[in-house]
Amino acid sequence: MFSKKPPLPDEEEAVVDPFSMSEEDSVQFSIEPATPAPRVLTKPSIISEGFEFVGTITSEGTLNISGSVKGKITARLVLVDVEGQVEGELNADSLMIKGRVVGDVQCQDLNVGPRAFVDGNISYQNIHIQRGGKIAGKFIKN
Amino acid sequence: MAESNQQGCLFVGEGVVLKGNFAVPDIASISGTIEGEISAKQVIVESTGTIRGKVTGEMIDIRGEVVEYLSATQSLIIRSSGKVSGAIHYSELEIEKGGHIHGDLHIIDPSRS
Repeated sequence: MFSKKPPLPDEEEAVVDPFSMSEEDSVQFSIEPATPAPRVLTKPSIISEGFEFVGTITSEGTLNISGSVKGKITARLVLVDVEGQVEGELNADSLMIKGRVVGDVQCQDLNVGPRAFVDGNISYQNIHIQRGGKIAGKFIKN
Repeated sequence: MAESNQQGCLFVGEGVVLKGNFAVPDIASISGTIEGEISAKQVIVESTGTIRGKVTGEMIDIRGEVVEYLSATQSLIIRSSGKVSGAIHYSELEIEKGGHIHGDLHIIDPSRS
């Protein structure tokens, strides 16, 4: 009879924290559920064709530029589309250029399309330039 | 692509080190090391190849390493294993993912300048 008791408290402990699988993690379980999943990709922000923007753009998500931007852009993912034009500073994790960019570019992954034009100082980690892309300026690999 | 008895071609095998200035009328295929100047119609730097100095040509294809100066009047292709640093002049450019490039890029555009 008594030999069956010791396992019971263990089982009770496991029921207390429904969020974690193992008992050792149970200490931290109260913090996470308060914030809803932080890495949800929101819809892209779009600067459409014909739209002219002057100023600073900051985004945690995706930014598609088909219009014209003068100023500073900071975003996680930036796409400068065929009709897109950017003049100024451009910071992004992942950057795809199909249009025209003049200014300093700082990114991790840079992809330059075949009809793109880029002029400025470019600092990057990974680069891919498709045939025909025109790039001038200083290249710095991080 | 590279036959052993082609006219006007230069083949530098792996492990070979050449120093000096070289004018090649046709294809220069480099698997070894060149220190100095080389000009050819087509320059191919293989993955084991290194050129330190000045490279000029119409078509340049790089799987190895080029340091200092590079000028390609027609096309420049930097493959995924390629590394280029220094001043680079080109009219058409392709860089494969993984290719390294460090330095100043200039576009050769006869219509504009």
